[in-house]
Amino acid sequence: MKKAAFAIACFMALYCAGFSQKTAIIGTVRSGIDSTALSGVSILVKGSPGGTTTDKEGLYSIQTAENAVLIFSFSGYSPQEVRVNGSHRVNIYLQTTQLNEVVVTALGIKKEAKSLGYAVQQVSGETMEKVKSPTVASALTGKVAGLDIANTTDFFQAPTVSLRGQAPLFVIDGIPDLEGDVFKINADDIESVSVLKGTSAAALYGSIGKNGAILYTTKRGKKGRSGIDINSSTMVQTGYLRLPKVQTQYGDGYDGVYAYVDGSGSGTEGGGWIWGPKLDRKDPSTPSGYFETTQYNSPVDPVTGKLVPLPFISRGKNNLKNFFQNGVLATNNVSAYWGGDKGTLRVSVADIDQKGTMPNTNLQNASFSVAGNYNLTRKLSLDARVTWNREFTNNYPTVGYGPQNILYNLLLWTGADVDVRDLRNYWVKGKENVQQYNYNNSWYNNPYFVAYQYLNGYRKDNTFGSFSLNYDISPSFSVKARTGINSNNIDQTTQEPVSYIAYSYISPGNYFDTKSSYFDITSDFIVNYKHSFGKNVSLNVKAGGSNQYSNYKSLYSHTDGLTIPGFYNLSNSTNPLYSLNTLNEKQIESLYGAADLELYHFIYLSVTGRNDWVSTLPVRNNSFFYPSASASAVLSDVLRMPDPISFLKVRGSLSQVNSGNISATNPYAAIQTYGIGARWDNVPSLTWSSSSISPNLTPSTTRSWETGLALGLFRNRINFDGTYFRNLEFNNFANLAVSNASGYQTILVNADDYVRKGWEFTLSGSPIQTAHFKWTTGFNFSNNHVWLTRSTYSTDGYEGSLKVGDRRDRIYTSVYQSSATGQVIYGPDGLPVADPYQRSVGYSDPKWIYGWQNSFTYKSFTLNISLDGRLGGLIYSSTNEKMWWGGSSPYTVNHFRDEAYLGENTYVGKGVTVLSGNATYDNHGNVLTDDRKYTPNTTGVNYVSFMTSTGGDEADNHYFYYKGTYIKLRELSLTYNFPRRWLGDKKAFQAGSVSFIGNNLLIFAKVPNVDPDALADNLQTPSLRSYGININLKF
Amino acid sequence: MKQLRELLFIMFAAGLTLLTSCKKFEDYQTNPNQPTQADPSLELTNIEQTAFATISTDAALASRYLIYTEGSSLSQYYGWTRSEFTPYSNISQVVKMQQEAIRTSQLNYYYLGKFLTDYYIVQLTETFGDVPFSKAEQAMSGDQSPAALMPAYDSQESIYLQVLNDLETVNDSLNAGSAINGDIIYSGDVTKWKKAINAFSLRVLMSLSLKTGDAQLQVQQHFNNIVSNPGKYPLFASNDDNAELKYYNLSGNYYPYYNDNSLKTDFYMDSSFVHLLKGLRDPRLFTFGKPTTASGLPVGDFNAYSGVPGSAPLSDNVNAVSNGLASAINNRYAYDPINEPSIAIGYAEQEFTLAEAVIRGWIGGSAASYYMNGVQAALDFSNYQGNSYTDGQIQAYLAQPSVQLQSGTGLQQILTQKYISMFMNTGWEPFYNQRRTGIPVFETSGGGILNNGQVPRRWMYPTSEYNNNSTNVDAAVTSQYGGNDNINGVMWMLQPQ
Repeated sequence: MKKAAFAIACFMALYCAGFSQKTAIIGTVRSGIDSTALSGVSILVKGSPGGTTTDKEGLYSIQTAENAVLIFSFSGYSPQEVRVNGSHRVNIYLQTTQLNEVVVTALGIKKEAKSLGYAVQQVSGETMEKVKSPTVASALTGKVAGLDIANTTDFFQAPTVSLRGQAPLFVIDGIPDLEGDVFKINADDIESVSVLKGTSAAALYGSIGKNGAILYTTKRGKKGRSGIDINSSTMVQTGYLRLPKVQTQYGDGYDGVYAYVDGSGSGTEGGGWIWGPKLDRKDPSTPSGYFETTQYNSPVDPVTGKLVPLPFISRGKNNLKNFFQNGVLATNNVSAYWGGDKGTLRVSVADIDQKGTMPNTNLQNASFSVAGNYNLTRKLSLDARVTWNREFTNNYPTVGYGPQNILYNLLLWTGADVDVRDLRNYWVKGKENVQQYNYNNSWYNNPYFVAYQYLNGYRKDNTFGSFSLNYDISPSFSVKARTGINSNNIDQTTQEPVSYIAYSYISPGNYFDTKSSYFDITSDFIVNYKHSFGKNVSLNVKAGGSNQYSNYKSLYSHTDGLTIPGFYNLSNSTNPLYSLNTLNEKQIESLYGAADLELYHFIYLSVTGRNDWVSTLPVRNNSFFYPSASASAVLSDVLRMPDPISFLKVRGSLSQVNSGNISATNPYAAIQTYGIGARWDNVPSLTWSSSSISPNLTPSTTRSWETGLALGLFRNRINFDGTYFRNLEFNNFANLAVSNASGYQTILVNADDYVRKGWEFTLSGSPIQTAHFKWTTGFNFSNNHVWLTRSTYSTDGYEGSLKVGDRRDRIYTSVYQSSATGQVIYGPDGLPVADPYQRSVGYSDPKWIYGWQNSFTYKSFTLNISLDGRLGGLIYSSTNEKMWWGGSSPYTVNHFRDEAYLGENTYVGKGVTVLSGNATYDNHGNVLTDDRKYTPNTTGVNYVSFMTSTGGDEADNHYFYYKGTYIKLRELSLTYNFPRRWLGDKKAFQAGSVSFIGNNLLIFAKVPNVDPDALADNLQTPSLRSYGININLKF
Repeated sequence: MKQLRELLFIMFAAGLTLLTSCKKFEDYQTNPNQPTQADPSLELTNIEQTAFATISTDAALASRYLIYTEGSSLSQYYGWTRSEFTPYSNISQVVKMQQEAIRTSQLNYYYLGKFLTDYYIVQLTETFGDVPFSKAEQAMSGDQSPAALMPAYDSQESIYLQVLNDLETVNDSLNAGSAINGDIIYSGDVTKWKKAINAFSLRVLMSLSLKTGDAQLQVQQHFNNIVSNPGKYPLFASNDDNAELKYYNLSGNYYPYYNDNSLKTDFYMDSSFVHLLKGLRDPRLFTFGKPTTASGLPVGDFNAYSGVPGSAPLSDNVNAVSNGLASAINNRYAYDPINEPSIAIGYAEQEFTLAEAVIRGWIGGSAASYYMNGVQAALDFSNYQGNSYTDGQIQAYLAQPSVQLQSGTGLQQILTQKYISMFMNTGWEPFYNQRRTGIPVFETSGGGILNNGQVPRRWMYPTSEYNNNSTNVDAAVTSQYGGNDNINGVMWMLQPQ
């Protein structure tokens, strides 16, 4: 107790600087969250009638006794008492902790955080103001416990967002965005983001909110204020956080031999390996003094007609850096707002201009938004917003492993003997538009040819908005009608030039064209009744109905060959066109109700119920009801707590949500149909689905409970929140594998139980806070894992490779046989022996994810630092595997390679060979008996054969699964807030700042060459640092 | 009054939006993008595309025609493990077609379906041994009971008994008077279908040559019945009758290895095969392979060709290839979108089978004339674009004593010519014929060989069966292979009596 008292005294001392006998007190009141000045804060003197409020700049002055106690209070913030103790200047930060913060919950209903019985975390839109990410979802990385955002390094690819391990619903101003397009929302229009983490929190959204929800609330004008805001960030992507390091000592070829004939296998160049001769090898017998061989750019000897050998030297040492350019991310936003007595208006125009690091790639993202509200009469008010957004690119890169990805050609499969700059003129002379110029014509594309000729165009026009009317029939009784739409048109084209290579395909030139339109509308009608029974009981009851309808239409066409090369038009098809159109319609009708009960101002009870009727299930099973209940108790309001504890809340909830959503993309997944088969010689065909569908499908269900605790210490200077949740996911729509001999490969049934469990913790506070300096910090960490707890149809407790009780993310893969002690078994040929059973190599889910945000304010400077990362979880790295396999990894530079080139079999795989004995297995590969005796493997093999035959020595590289552990310096901004003397009504602007900003700046990771942030590596784009400047002006 | 007006306004606005799309839920129970019912002809086109596509480089590697240099190939070095039950998915398409045939009373599709089912089940039993047959495909009729989802296995003997019965029924029941549409193989010609079915029966019977003593099957008598009654059991008369899938220069209709990079750069001729062709001075070598780069000799020169041994270590072969010492597979297999058709059952094969039957004493007639028909048909088929070699060259080839059927070496010559005729064609038939007869010898002496130098006799059952039908697959493995599912197990049809 003494310690706590001492601590409090210390903190108190930090507020108060110096002693004086003066009785006039002045100071500034700022928000403890973002240090902005708070105007209108009420300041009272304890025990006396005097009082004042702060002005626009947060300044106040008050006359009082020197030992008085000032009480600062402001809506949405904790009231704070400060003893003057003779000080004449009292600057304070008011804390807006989550404790009595108002947060946005399901259906856009605002509630006090302390009344919630489930986990909700809110992020202010201001955190996205300075440092810009390509999408608003990326801007949440590391900021919310339980929210894992896997940011891809690839250009114009959305991050993967998972909340408690599943894809959440996105909601904009109360209207679900069923497509979840993270590119269409402009960060500068966001007031706040509320993350409803679990099933309970999102129960009112019904089946679509089963996995939780991310609610965006957009900005509105504020009453009594008007102005213009300009926010401009420009970031340059330069410098690599992760750039695969390739060897530059050996060039293209196989087995140490390279001689170009025609680029497709007539010589030794066709196979496309980087197992060729040593580069820069001195050879006094040649004109150049280096080893010479025929190469793709060899001149033809006019006499013999043969290619003239050229020196085999490392011309292409810096191919990656020579090919890539600096990327740019420029975001500009201008918004104007106005607020009068009867209503407000806000207009915002934004443009995000992105230039990719791959040549000839770009993305424009423009938004125009109008939002406002108006009190039509004393009782009737309306609120509306509409946003138009266009995502537009002439060309964005194709990603993933394969010859369509520039990196495949440039990084993995080009030896340093080729200088990419020599490929800049990408047509063969005299064969323009017909044949690309490259060093290999069987496997690879010229990177410049892909950049400038293989073009992916995309244009998406989004229109989305909402409209709501609220009518207060009486002070306790109101009705609300709200409707919102999301609609878009997409125009997507791909130009595929003649001679473009994709494995067993050399393009005769093709043009692909997809046009689609999408529309959804969600309408709610809600009746709200609130009533207080005496002083200590109040009740709020809601009842509503909802209808949601979506309609997607598309037309996809492509040519079969182009008659005129380079003329990209469907009419130019050599053979008949291929075309396919699609119509997907979906509807959910719902009725729901909710009741919130507040007892004695510290107990909060809430129940909800909802019934959905869905179009995606057979009609007889398409109606289902599900309830939820939650409770919270603010114990610190009624119990006497030890001094340091200023707030203590316990909470718990129980809920069930059903879903009829069998497939994310196909609303007709409950109907078994033919698929359209291939035409043969223009004769059409059909093929029957290989998955049978049970006629008795019922909704899938998640039953969830969670409990949590919120703790505020030292006047809520330090806040802790902990949550534990457990979901039982049953009646899942499972494509159950059955014996193929039954006629089907899978049967769609309701089956299998999974349990999902997880912990979420946040710790936040302001450890240091003085008149000029303040450090606020927030740390969060969380995890979640899923276990298979019941396999409904299994006869032996196995679901595929997975055993009941196993974690679902257990990775099974094809491996080589190993001894009981884990040593790899080699055969008489010196190669590892394939295991006929798939084996587990570990788990893919991270053990924990975490984020740490810090803000340091000193006078006019603010430094924000955001770090995040993951612990554990395996990631398969294609980039690393292919580098080992193909010969471009620096690890493949060793004496074994030189010896292999000399025909020597010197490489001995690490492991054993079987001397005698046998092992027997059960059906799942578990050892039954094993009397094998081993001896160390001593069989030498040719190193090159070994590497090409074993996928780059998979066995010794853990099958290229790497630990995903990393920590990343995600965001950094150093802001200079313009001094007050520059600002004010008579000056040009009201507020302003200039910031140095940086994104993706540093990483420490276990996996080499690639960035584990994306949780996957299928030949990812090198991870880049971004730096730039943000200018923010408020007029 | 004003209050009421405002309330009415909001109610009306809400009502309007709620009504935006009031479709009945019943209306969503139809998929507008894909049909649920169709004429059986639409299924037939798709089935034929799969059933008659037989070209496989794995079969070519395992049958010592080709070698592979990109890595160590388990087919080439005989280190394979499992195969898959995918043919059952193809049978499902057939069963669906049969259901549509019955629904629309077009029984020709039903009987063709029976033949196609038999065709696939024979592939399955040749691969594994016992497989589900009589209890298979029951889920296709909506049965989701455990017995349907986990079908019991049938013995190989009973499978063949059923197949031979079925084939007889099909030959008897196909009706020339009613149409077969969507038929990309025979354009609805029922007689040609009957020929293919009978030729297939002969193949099946010959594959049971080790089981002539089986009282139920009566292989020899059955074979004789077909051959001796051409009126009832018509047979192929020329290459024009081949059951084959033709390729087209249309997207998706290309020769399966058209533009295939591996085929362009990683497939070379096996030395034993080159040796065989050179020994016979067989002009087909010019259309199967390419002159080595080191030789610098023209296409028509036998000395231009050289292979590398399929059992040698990968590094040795890569080395030979790097030094230009190995003939690559002919360009037509990767550079021609049409190349040659994929034969499922061919005339040449039928003639070789008949010749073998004469030698085995199953039927009468002249082995030599069947044999020469086969050789000639095979040369005609492989004469790429009709001008790779002249008629004169063919006649000269046929006239050689090493080609003419000699007494005492009949079986050897017939099976050798049958083997040559199936280069990059007819699926795994060359491998199965060799497995049954040992002709030609597959060389396994090199340092790269796996499986202790043995040529595997089968494939292990798929993992999916162990996961989804364990009781039945366990029983099948126990009854056939003493509980040890391995690639050297000898299935019933290969066990000498």
